[in-house]
Amino acid sequence: MDTIKQEKVRRFEEFVDRRLKPDLVHAIAQRDKVFEQKKIFSDLRINIENLEKNSVTNLKTLVNLGSEVYMQANVPDATHIFVDVGLGFHVEFTWSEALNYISAREEKIARQIEEYTRLIASIKAQIKMVCEGIRELLQLPAEPAY
Amino acid sequence: MEAPIKGTVTSLSSLFPVEEAQKASKRVEESITERQKQLDQLREFAADNNTLINLVQRLPDQLHHEIMVPFGKAAFFPGHLVHTNEFLVLLGEGHYAERTAKQTVEILNRRGKALEVQVEAVKALMQDLKAEASFFDATASEAADGLVEIREDYVEETSTKEASMKGTVKPELTISSEAENVPSVKDEEYDRILSRLAELEKEEEEAENANQEELGEAGSDISLDDVILEEEMKSSELKERGESRFQSTEKFPDNWHVQGSKSTSKDCIVPENCLPENLAYGKFNLTESAPREPQAKEDAPREPQAKEDVKAPVIAEAKADALPTKPGFDSSKAFTGSIIEHTSDVNSREQSVSHSSKPVSRFKMQRK
Repeated sequence: MDTIKQEKVRRFEEFVDRRLKPDLVHAIAQRDKVFEQKKIFSDLRINIENLEKNSVTNLKTLVNLGSEVYMQANVPDATHIFVDVGLGFHVEFTWSEALNYISAREEKIARQIEEYTRLIASIKAQIKMVCEGIRELLQLPAEPAY
Repeated sequence: MEAPIKGTVTSLSSLFPVEEAQKASKRVEESITERQKQLDQLREFAADNNTLINLVQRLPDQLHHEIMVPFGKAAFFPGHLVHTNEFLVLLGEGHYAERTAKQTVEILNRRGKALEVQVEAVKALMQDLKAEASFFDATASEAADGLVEIREDYVEETSTKEASMKGTVKPELTISSEAENVPSVKDEEYDRILSRLAELEKEEEEAENANQEELGEAGSDISLDDVILEEEMKSSELKERGESRFQSTEKFPDNWHVQGSKSTSKDCIVPENCLPENLAYGKFNLTESAPREPQAKEDAPREPQAKEDVKAPVIAEAKADALPTKPGFDSSKAFTGSIIEHTSDVNSREQSVSHSSKPVSRFKMQRK
C-alpha cells in the first residue's frame, strides 16, 4: 500500500515539475512580452500628445546608426507618422488618427494581457491542486485555508 | 641486497570511476557550449562592427540622405540625414565624442581589434575545455574497459656502495627518485661518513660486547631511539656488532625508506647513519614502525650499552671525527643533539624514531 502511495506521489510530483511548472514559466514570459508592447504604445501616445500640444512640425533628432553611433537627422514635416500596425505594415497617420489607432491598439493589448493572466492563474491553481493531493496522500497537516 | 621489487596493480576504474568520469565530461561539455555561445555573440558583434564601418564610410558621399526616422519602437517619421560627416560616438559611461567619418572608422577599427582579442581568448578556453573533455571521455572508456595501472618500484643499479645503499633504502617508488638524486650527489660525503663510521664502530663494539644483555626487550622502543642516536655516531661500532643481525634485517632498511626529508644532502647517501640523526631532528618521516620493532629489539640490547658508553665519547668522537674527516658533513651536527641523550632521556625523546642500528649495520655491510 505504501509503495503504491509512494508511486502516486512521485508521479504527481513529476507531473508538476515537468508539465505544469514549465507551462507556467512559458505563460509568464509571453505575458511579459505583451506588457512590453503595451508600454511601447503608451509611450508613443504620450509623445504624440506632446507634439500636438507644442505644435511641433520640425524635428531634429539623433539617429542611431548601430553600436551607438549617432547622426543628426531632420524631420521637416512631423505631422505625418508611420505607425506599425503589425505583419510588417506601417500606415501613415496624422496625429489624431494615430492617437485613435493607438487607443484601439491599447485595448486589444489589454485584452491579451487579461487572457494570459487567466491562463497563468489556472496553471497555478492546477499546481496547487496536485500539491494538495500529494499532501493528502502523505497525510501531512493541511495548510491553513486563510 | 636487492630489495624485492614491489608492484601495485590498480584498476583504472577504481581511480577514475566510470560514472564520475562521464559526469565530469558532461560538465565540461556544458561549459563548452557556454563558451560557444559567447563565441557566437562576439562574432556577431564583430560582424555588426564591420557593417557599421562600411556604412560610416559611405554616408559622407551625399549631403542628405532620405530616411525614415524612428520614433520610439513602433512609429517612423520621414526625414533626412543631415551633417553627414558628423558622428556622435558613445565612448562609454555617458561620454560621447563628435567625430568625422574617418575618425569614427578609426574608433570602430580599434573596437574591432578588441573584439578579436576576446574572440581569441574564448577560442583558447574552448580548446582547453575540449582537451579536458576528450581526456575524460578516454578515461571513461578505459575505465569501462577495465584498464589497470601497474606501478613498480624502481631499483636503480648504480655502482658499489651507492647502489647497495640505494637498493636497500629505496623500497618505495616515491622515494626511489629522491634517493637516486641524493646518492649521486653525496658520494663524497658518503665516503667520509663511512670512514667516520668505521672509527665509531670500533669504539661501539667494545662497549656493546660488554652490555649486550643489559637492555633486554623492555626498552626496545626507547632503546631504539637511543640506538638510533648512537648509531649515527657509532655506526661503525654498531655495524660490527650487528652485522650478523643486520643482515637479516634487509627489510628494515626497506621500510625505512627515507621519505621526504631529503632536505639534507647526506641523508640519502648515508641513510642508516643519517636516519637516526634525522629522526632525532625530525628530518625524516620514517614510515615503518612494525618492521623496526623487531630490529629495535635486537638493537636494544646493543643500544643501551652503546649509548651509555658511547655517549660521551661518541659525542666527542663523532664531532671530532666528523669535523676533520668530513668538514661539510651534517651528520656530525646531527649527532650533537642526540648523542648527549642517555637511555632514559633518549627513550622519552626518540619514541618516534624506532630505527634500530640496523641501518648502521647495513651500511657497514655495504661498505664491506
